[in-house]
Amino acid sequence: MRIGGHIFMALAAVVLAMPIVVVCGAALNGGRSMFFPPRDPTLARFGEFFVSEPVWTNALANSIIVAFGAATLAVLIAWPVAYLLWSSGSKLSKALAGLGSLPFAVPPIVIGVGLGFFWAFTGGLGHVWSGVISHAILLMALPLVTISIGLQSIDRSHLDAAATMGATEQIAFRTVVLPQTIPYTISGFFFVLVLSFNEFIVIFFVSASSYATVTLQIFNSLRNGYTPTMAVAAITFLVVSILVFAAVARWGDLPRLMGADQSKN
Amino acid sequence: MTVADDLNVAADIPAKAAPGLTRKGALYGVLTALMVVFCVVPFILVIVISFGRKIEGAAWVWDFTFENYQRFFVGTLWPDEVTFLYLQQLGYSFYFAIIASLLAVLTALPFTLLLTRLKRSTQAIWLVFILSSLSMSEVFIVMGWDILLSNNSGLPKLFQVTGMTQWLKDVGWFQTLRDIGLANPRNVKFKPSEFATILTMSYLVWPYAVILLYPALSRLDPSLSEAARTMGASRWTVIRTVTLPSIRLPLMGTTLLLFVFLLGSYVTISVFATPDKQTTAVAIYSNIRGSNLNAPFGSAQAVILLISASICLYFGHLLNSKAEAR
Repeated sequence: MRIGGHIFMALAAVVLAMPIVVVCGAALNGGRSMFFPPRDPTLARFGEFFVSEPVWTNALANSIIVAFGAATLAVLIAWPVAYLLWSSGSKLSKALAGLGSLPFAVPPIVIGVGLGFFWAFTGGLGHVWSGVISHAILLMALPLVTISIGLQSIDRSHLDAAATMGATEQIAFRTVVLPQTIPYTISGFFFVLVLSFNEFIVIFFVSASSYATVTLQIFNSLRNGYTPTMAVAAITFLVVSILVFAAVARWGDLPRLMGADQSKN
Repeated sequence: MTVADDLNVAADIPAKAAPGLTRKGALYGVLTALMVVFCVVPFILVIVISFGRKIEGAAWVWDFTFENYQRFFVGTLWPDEVTFLYLQQLGYSFYFAIIASLLAVLTALPFTLLLTRLKRSTQAIWLVFILSSLSMSEVFIVMGWDILLSNNSGLPKLFQVTGMTQWLKDVGWFQTLRDIGLANPRNVKFKPSEFATILTMSYLVWPYAVILLYPALSRLDPSLSEAARTMGASRWTVIRTVTLPSIRLPLMGTTLLLFVFLLGSYVTISVFATPDKQTTAVAIYSNIRGSNLNAPFGSAQAVILLISASICLYFGHLLNSKAEAR
């Protein structure tokens, strides 16, 4: 049974890794088409993706702008909502948190269509800044959850102690609440960053084909046939994801963020 | 309803909710306005536009007509002629999403159960791996499976080179594969097909299934199953009578969430599904961004998808709150 379990987990890992490995391997192809295993392996595609082909370098720049902008914005909106929810627990704060999670809960194509209309009427359609806001809206549910988990982990007796020693709400906030929630805030930021990098359908509707992020550029190329350069994009994104989540696991408590029971170690 | 109206409504609420606390009141006001403008207005726009009317050969205009919904359920020419084409597309949306989400949950369940029994630090490594594959964009995953299933490299090639194809022909299963559309006269052929679509879709949500099941499973009390074991129950009896009943609700909740997520999947369907099995999501795209340019009808389809998803989410929420209450 134990061995069977290990085999099952290993098998799951193999299937999970298979398409990713194939994409990564295909990046090494020397020719213009995708083969696996790669033929005539070369690293020239990496140069094309990061340096020489403007289609891809522009797309990468757009992806970075959208992801970092959206992550910052999402955390900035989620923080006060999570804080109000935690400190007051009022009906309105619950409603705000609920509304904030709504775009993430519905099928992405619906919110994509809705935001597409919204930007068409407000003049933002096809601008990068509207893409930033759209992703922040879509993904703000993530920092909302991580920051709430962080706030819940604060021992209320610390706040009482701070209050007894004469700290005002602001001082208690700065010295007790903020330091304890920073890891969770950063985790939330990174979750948005990674998911924004990889998001496709919403940005597809709000970009209105006037600019491309890497995922959009790949989708466009999917229809015109593959080039190995696309695979370099996949590798880049995979490496970013692994680095980010490894950082969260290293400096934050990943099992707890994912909702594991705290008492077991 | 215009944006300005929403702002006024939004500004009124906090003034009543927090009298005296002006700074907190202002914060509530700003946040409420933000949420209403960005999280509610887009949905309202979709709903309102779904009642609009398309002018032939031109754009669409505001209106209040049920034509789009009529077209969705029975076709434009009703009652003279009835077509269920769009209902059928919705049916395929459900069909693919149900099978793929069930497949993902059923295979993720034993995996997650095993995962929660590992050391905490080992769990963290697995979680990094799973989160990384979870965050991989649908376009990358579709690209990966597309290469894996393509005819001149990938699995069909592997089948041919290793003699699997010949073996299948020898034992006579090749004909069965041909009958269900997974082979051409010379070799196996995996795409486009339902098989490829469902495989990719369930691959897409599998990491989500693990992440969603993880909290519930990691809180399972091992002493319960140990007690059952000491009382002489076999391992399978324990799983059937102790473990499964106690996670029944999160299990159903997870399946529902994945199902809702898959209802709107676009890239996988457009690449792997055969043209006669396209779904509502693809139809929404072709009406709004694609060649048809019929935004009202696309919106009506989006509304119907949204309603289907909401009903499922509501039941999921019901299940989850039941689970919390226990």
